[in-house]
Amino acid sequence: MKLKDVLSPLRVWERAAQKPWTIKDPINDRPGADNYRGFHKNDFSKCIGCGTCEEICQNDAIDIVPVEGQETVDGDSGLRPMIDYGRCCWCALCVDVCPTGSLTMSNDYTWIADDPEDYRFVPGADKTKWQDSTVGYTRSPDIQILDYNRVDMLEIKPEDRDKSFIEIVKGYNKEQAIKEAERCIQCGLCTATCPAHMDIPGYIAAIRDDDLDQALRILYETNPMPEICGRICTHKCETACALHNNGDPLAIRWLKRYIADQIPADKYQEILGTAHLVDEQLNRKVAVIGAGPAGVSAAYYLAIMGYKTKIYEALPASGGMARYGIPEYRLPYDQIDKDVEYLKTLGVEIQYNTRIGEDITLEELHREYDAVFAGTGLHLGRSTRVPGSDHSRVYFATDMLREVTLGNEIDVAENIVVIGGGNVAMDITRTLARLQNQKYGKVQVLATCLEAEEVMPADLEEIVEAREENAVIEPAWGPKEIEIKNGKITGLHVSKCLSVFDEDGRFNPRFDEEQKKFFKADMIVESIGQGMDLSYLTEEIKAELKMTPRGRIEVNDKFQSNLKWLFVGGDIIEGPDVIHGIANGYVAARGIDSYLNSK
Amino acid sequence: MEQLIKKIKGMVHLRAYGKQRDDLHFVTVDKAQLEMILAHLKNYEGFTHLAFLQAVDLLEEGKFRLIYMLYNYSTNVNLGVNVLIDRDNAEMNSIHKLWAHGWQYQRELHELFGIDFPDSPRVHESFVLEGWEEMPPMRRDFDTLEYSNRTFYQRPGRSTNDPAEYMKEKIYKNYPAAPVIRRDNE
Repeated sequence: MKLKDVLSPLRVWERAAQKPWTIKDPINDRPGADNYRGFHKNDFSKCIGCGTCEEICQNDAIDIVPVEGQETVDGDSGLRPMIDYGRCCWCALCVDVCPTGSLTMSNDYTWIADDPEDYRFVPGADKTKWQDSTVGYTRSPDIQILDYNRVDMLEIKPEDRDKSFIEIVKGYNKEQAIKEAERCIQCGLCTATCPAHMDIPGYIAAIRDDDLDQALRILYETNPMPEICGRICTHKCETACALHNNGDPLAIRWLKRYIADQIPADKYQEILGTAHLVDEQLNRKVAVIGAGPAGVSAAYYLAIMGYKTKIYEALPASGGMARYGIPEYRLPYDQIDKDVEYLKTLGVEIQYNTRIGEDITLEELHREYDAVFAGTGLHLGRSTRVPGSDHSRVYFATDMLREVTLGNEIDVAENIVVIGGGNVAMDITRTLARLQNQKYGKVQVLATCLEAEEVMPADLEEIVEAREENAVIEPAWGPKEIEIKNGKITGLHVSKCLSVFDEDGRFNPRFDEEQKKFFKADMIVESIGQGMDLSYLTEEIKAELKMTPRGRIEVNDKFQSNLKWLFVGGDIIEGPDVIHGIANGYVAARGIDSYLNSK
Repeated sequence: MEQLIKKIKGMVHLRAYGKQRDDLHFVTVDKAQLEMILAHLKNYEGFTHLAFLQAVDLLEEGKFRLIYMLYNYSTNVNLGVNVLIDRDNAEMNSIHKLWAHGWQYQRELHELFGIDFPDSPRVHESFVLEGWEEMPPMRRDFDTLEYSNRTFYQRPGRSTNDPAEYMKEKIYKNYPAAPVIRRDNE
């Protein structure tokens, strides 16, 4: 053995005092790249529990589960995704498809647990070390698996519509409707928000499959006025649409209209299977007061359940406030007729120009019928009661809209101020703008309301379109006095309105009296809400009938009053809007059915 | 770049041209003319590097799009040369003689898309999916979910909810179901 061989192993000691080359902890000190697809995060404040992540997952790794503390509210199911990391392959399709962008990934990729169940977890609920990580994978704006752009609706241009009452919205054609329907992700969040709980994903899927018969059947399951609702529904469903979080919601209202528009009235019986209804087999009769949405809806469902039903209507035509409160450019009268005529083919009788309380008493109806449904609506105007409001050139919007529908001439002034910021105020403003245009060739109508622009109760499109038609909208002003000189109105004094409701949510407007304005006018229309006319309730009935503290008739969840034979619904109970009326009529019809069966 | 495109147009049937960025261009040529144009770009136009070869399954059109991504080191320009080939019995000439490392990409494409490159070395050997017996998994008609459910068992105790049904249960449980139409003959 050579000396070198003995000594050389000792050479390693040369390095004894040097810093080692090995990396002490190769795992924890190596973060993923900034956009690495690591473990999931879910921002609960954005997530709406629509389940689209579950739907797209190609590994069936996601369940949608209830989570403690998450409420189910309009537009949020309260459910949240639970991911099984035994199946996840981190492809990030769930992140790319998420309509709210709540689902993201951290760049964390190490996790050690003994129990395999730990790897099934709810990101956002179960505390994880990467929950607050700011880096990781998020959906790039270039990647849009879903289509967030609504198919444009053709509308008649302002200059072509502002002199007449021609319908503005043209409606989708087949190609447009199918394209729009294909955007739907079928999560069904909208159904809970719809007062009538319509099967919206169901009829959208039927449009997509071009099966309009099936679509119509789905509509009529819960709503017998699709032509009306397809045009003027308040469409709160669209605010709940999952796509609304990142773009345009589905045009649910226009799609409903598309279905009804495509099918001629004479096909309805055949499609809906109502050609051979039982003929008075039940031998029970129900009277309905008012041919508005609530009354028509109640009558329809009573009729298909086999009840002999008759509607009494005070005015000369059907539709209630939908006809006498909503202008024809939004809802043409022949479309109301289409919905109502179909009802008549089912044997429902409608007696027009018959006011209960004047022509027939409520007691008579009670004697003659087994049950009565009253959906009499809100036809009375309400006054601001500011000084000068008792002048003869101060009108209620509801009265004036009714006169227009009845075809009576309106003495339109050159300068008009409308007080109010709701849809009815926009309806009368735009109606008057048309009438002014016809009479004077110019528009000088101004609408003013307490609410600031952002919180005006009217639908945004109403405000936009009113302005397009040259009406002036002046939000956030409170009416103080109507100035009258030599017996004639000269205008309206207003003060700046700072807020409408107080901290308790009560109507209690605050004004800045320093900021004033004067709106010139020789005619004023008040549109600050509607009242009900319950004069058909006789003293005897009133004495027995239970009312709420707010002066409405008290009803149970079947819209039955404490007088068991009297059911009440529509605007005088809930709303005011068409879809609540339809929903009330539907529920009341079921209520009447169970009441009469138990009698 | 404009001049180069013009030149390419003079040499082959240029089916499409698109510019995505200043340094990223795409041309589409016919299958039969691909090798000729690749050789020209490599030998005379400075696109010496094959950055990658990838495929896209155009299921609806019954085609695969092959993308030969070339890179020019002196101008820092990327040029994607696209070619459409039939999806049925998909086959393409090999480019391993132009770029030696091309064989590896072709082996990958054979495994993931089922595209054959007959002369390419070791093209039928598995690439990452040892023992794979299914349809090539990057073909769009491969049902990933079905495969996944067939292959990987579910953990016991899993359950899920339909958001719409769950909301009904929570918010409007008592809303009546649609009435049954009472017909004469029933």
